[in-house]
Amino acid sequence: MLSFGIPMLSSRRFWFVMAAIVIGLLPLVFTDSYWQTNLIVCAINVLLAVGLDFVLGYAGQLNLGQSAFYGIGAYTSTLLIMNLGTPFWIAFVCGVLLSGFAGMLLSIFAVRLRGHYLAIASLGFAVITYQILLNWISLTQGPLGIYAIAPPPPLGIPGLPAIEFSNLANLFYLTAGFALCTYILLDQLVRSPIGETLTAIREDEVSAASLGINCQRWKVFAFAVSSAVAGAAGCFYASFVGTLVPDAFFITESFTILAMVIVGGMGTLIGPVLGAILLTVLPEVLRGIGDLRLIVYGVSVTLVVLFMPGGMVQAGRLIFGRLHRRAISAEAGSAP
Amino acid sequence: MLTVILQQGINGVVVGSLYVLVALGLTLIYGVLVQINFAHADIVTLGAFAAYFVTHLLSGNYFAGIAVALVVGGILGWLVNATIFLPLRERGSELLPLIATIGVSIMLQNAMLILLGPIPYAFNTPYSSQVIRFSGIFLTVQNVLIIVVSALTIALLYAFMKFTFLGKALRAVSQDRETAGLMGINPNYVIMLTFVIASALAGMSGAMLGPVLVLTPFAGTTVIVKAFAIVIIGGFGNVEGTIIAGLLVGLIESYTTQFLDPGLIDIVVFALLLLTLAVRPTGLVAEKREENV
Amino acid sequence: MIYRPFRKLRVPAIVIGGLLVASASQLHAADKVIKIGALFPISGPGSYFGVQDKQGVELAVEQLNKSGVNGYKFEVQYEDSACSPLPASQAAKRLIDQFKPDVAIGEECSDATLAIMPIMAQAKVPLLNAGSSSIKVTQPGNPWTFRIMPNEVMQGVDIATNAYKRLNARTAVLLHENTNAGIGNAKVFAETFTKLGGKILADIGFGRDVNDFTSIATRVAGLGKIDVIPTYTLEGQGLKITQALAQAGVVKGGGGKAIQLGTIWLPFGFEQKAGKAALGYVRIVQFDPTDKRAVVQDFIKAFKAKYNQAPTHINAHAYDQVMLIADVVRRGGKDAQSIRDGLAATKNFSGVTGSAEFDKTNQNIKMDTVHYMETMPDLSWKALKWN
Repeated sequence: MLSFGIPMLSSRRFWFVMAAIVIGLLPLVFTDSYWQTNLIVCAINVLLAVGLDFVLGYAGQLNLGQSAFYGIGAYTSTLLIMNLGTPFWIAFVCGVLLSGFAGMLLSIFAVRLRGHYLAIASLGFAVITYQILLNWISLTQGPLGIYAIAPPPPLGIPGLPAIEFSNLANLFYLTAGFALCTYILLDQLVRSPIGETLTAIREDEVSAASLGINCQRWKVFAFAVSSAVAGAAGCFYASFVGTLVPDAFFITESFTILAMVIVGGMGTLIGPVLGAILLTVLPEVLRGIGDLRLIVYGVSVTLVVLFMPGGMVQAGRLIFGRLHRRAISAEAGSAP
Repeated sequence: MLTVILQQGINGVVVGSLYVLVALGLTLIYGVLVQINFAHADIVTLGAFAAYFVTHLLSGNYFAGIAVALVVGGILGWLVNATIFLPLRERGSELLPLIATIGVSIMLQNAMLILLGPIPYAFNTPYSSQVIRFSGIFLTVQNVLIIVVSALTIALLYAFMKFTFLGKALRAVSQDRETAGLMGINPNYVIMLTFVIASALAGMSGAMLGPVLVLTPFAGTTVIVKAFAIVIIGGFGNVEGTIIAGLLVGLIESYTTQFLDPGLIDIVVFALLLLTLAVRPTGLVAEKREENV
Repeated sequence: MIYRPFRKLRVPAIVIGGLLVASASQLHAADKVIKIGALFPISGPGSYFGVQDKQGVELAVEQLNKSGVNGYKFEVQYEDSACSPLPASQAAKRLIDQFKPDVAIGEECSDATLAIMPIMAQAKVPLLNAGSSSIKVTQPGNPWTFRIMPNEVMQGVDIATNAYKRLNARTAVLLHENTNAGIGNAKVFAETFTKLGGKILADIGFGRDVNDFTSIATRVAGLGKIDVIPTYTLEGQGLKITQALAQAGVVKGGGGKAIQLGTIWLPFGFEQKAGKAALGYVRIVQFDPTDKRAVVQDFIKAFKAKYNQAPTHINAHAYDQVMLIADVVRRGGKDAQSIRDGLAATKNFSGVTGSAEFDKTNQNIKMDTVHYMETMPDLSWKALKWN
């Protein structure tokens, strides 16, 4: 990481603390409910994008089925809460586990397929999941929808007043905090030998196998983690929006998440975060131009892919690289 | 009951033929380039609109509309190849062109939305209201047209691939690009040609689909996901397989509608897809393909 | 030298003074604006509604602002709710935070409307709806949500009863899109019809992405003697269904005996697109262009003059929403609370789609919004005076 010679800046812990501080300050800067809503959506999208990049950018598996796990998490937790009265956090864990399990199911295909086959298989998985959510009306209410879903229950801390999550700022702290923890966890995974294993599988599966890596097991692992994270995002989505309809989990959602990963920078962890934030905020900021909004969206994705495939991370590195070189040459130039 | 079964069989073949036309383009591109073009759906839509405008507004006849759609499709295919696939070829990533075509697809759809609006256009040809009836079966002249044109197209394509030099060059490039290059075939030229043919097919299928589809800028997307499923079930790059798979999916649609529920069509089709991938990933129709699947 | 203090300030003072007076008068004029927030789907497939809603709203606002109402002019801000709960919630919040409307109109899709209702209620801004048929919009009795179109229960019970009694229908096959509105409407018809003694032979739902209805028509054809086919779908798919049913020889337009029934989903002009296949179609329309009332005919004339096309029921709904707000302003409404109270107290409002009077759940209960039409062989409408 470029640090301009300042040791503190290269400490990961420093950046994580900075992130936490920024998260803490954001709702104080954006105080109206419209922007606080957008912040929460950002946090949820960050979760989705980072989760996808783990299996896509690091393990190299072409997974287009993220929308399915998103939906499974959302519906599982909501149905448990509304039909069985399950306490929120237990339902949350169940949603995460079930999504993770579904991810493992999909990984059965991943184990045997590569490239575009896996892409279409995962797409097929997403279509089937969507259709089940849509048609199994007796279970999910289908297009009739589930309404009046409550936000997470208030968190009581002894000695302090309970934290109400109907307050948007608090809900943002919850989701963004969870996203940050997930990021830190994945970051540790990626920088550990596990991360190297996944990268090996991504680069050349045959060679990896010849090194004694059990590709099958690690693919299953990557899928499980990725889909579990998506499931968590789904749980937050349901309790945040309050209304659950299957259309929120149509396959186009998978493409949106994919775009966030690509535009941000695939194969890095910070990339999806940047991509998610940009592609969440951009359509909102562009609301003023009405009809052209989605065209601009499509154009940006295409241009990034064509000219800057490493996404914003690559752009960032280019810019900082240039600044760094200028700083160095300035020093060198001014040497006596 | 027999009449119903027979009728649904005919319905299935008609719908299946349309799917085959759309899927053929995809499979051709994949065979030669190992790439998926997500904007294929929008070329279908644009072909449908082109045919609509020629037929309805310029009071041309329907066949002129089909011809125009073919040309429009071909031009678009050339454009997509020249601006996206060619420049990205060197980068090596499997995923980037796919994403780029997703971006192109979003652009095209929304541009069409602005220009054409969201209200469905009623594409009626004189053939769609002429109904042929015999022993309890009904068939519109439009349906007959669809089957005839599809069969003709497939036959022509088949002949092209098997008997002409370009067709053989295409197959050579799809089997092994490097060796084909060594043999004096210019892969880039062949790939460009493939794109043009595949997209012309897409445009034409749009013209045939126009009277069948609910014609809005989103029309192509309603058929494209099934087209992907067909391409896989039939085997990527395998023309015979695509035809069989397309007809199969068409029949699945009509029989599922008859005996179960239209809402379950997608589930049945994609369950078949996943089954194929689990059991026989190269597709239902065996082809001698060396591929790291 | 004569002492002339402030001489250099003379010109600036005049300028500033002039500006102050001008801005004061601007403020005075700006005071008298009613801000209408419009939440409609403008992007994606839902823009089918949004585009038409905007036309109706623009026409109404243009007419009203020529002379104002009680000294008030109307200002509209559109936000894209995209027919879906999350974008609709975001659009609603943006509207409230940034535009601060006195009243809001929208949405079209029931899920989106249900999602924005609590937001509007919390912000204490009345929401006037003319597009969602789900009973859930008014049933709980939200004091801040008003609906002027008849809901699925009002329409469904009425048409099922009329089918049984006036058309002597005893068997029915339901065809509907798999959405909130489609399923809801079909359910109401089925319940009423069976309670009266009729029989539902099949209930066939299909997704919005289904294009080819030949298979469905074939299945329907194999069901035996069918009297009526209630169909709940938008015009794109509706066209295909009607044509397919005619091809299969099921409906009157294809030589069969069954009569298609519909509610307010299909616009005027449908017959011209469907051709002979639409013969005998009986349906409820909310906007009857053959209605002789002056307000209807004037609306049609003005719409044609501005847009060069005949108005649909969606245009008419949007127009009525704004006109009803104007009526409330005429009666003294000037901010969110007073407009809300004014809406609740509405009597004797006669709009293009019919009259408006709200019951205690804020649902418009005037049945003259329910007009029945039958398609004649020459593709014109004959008004059946069933209400």
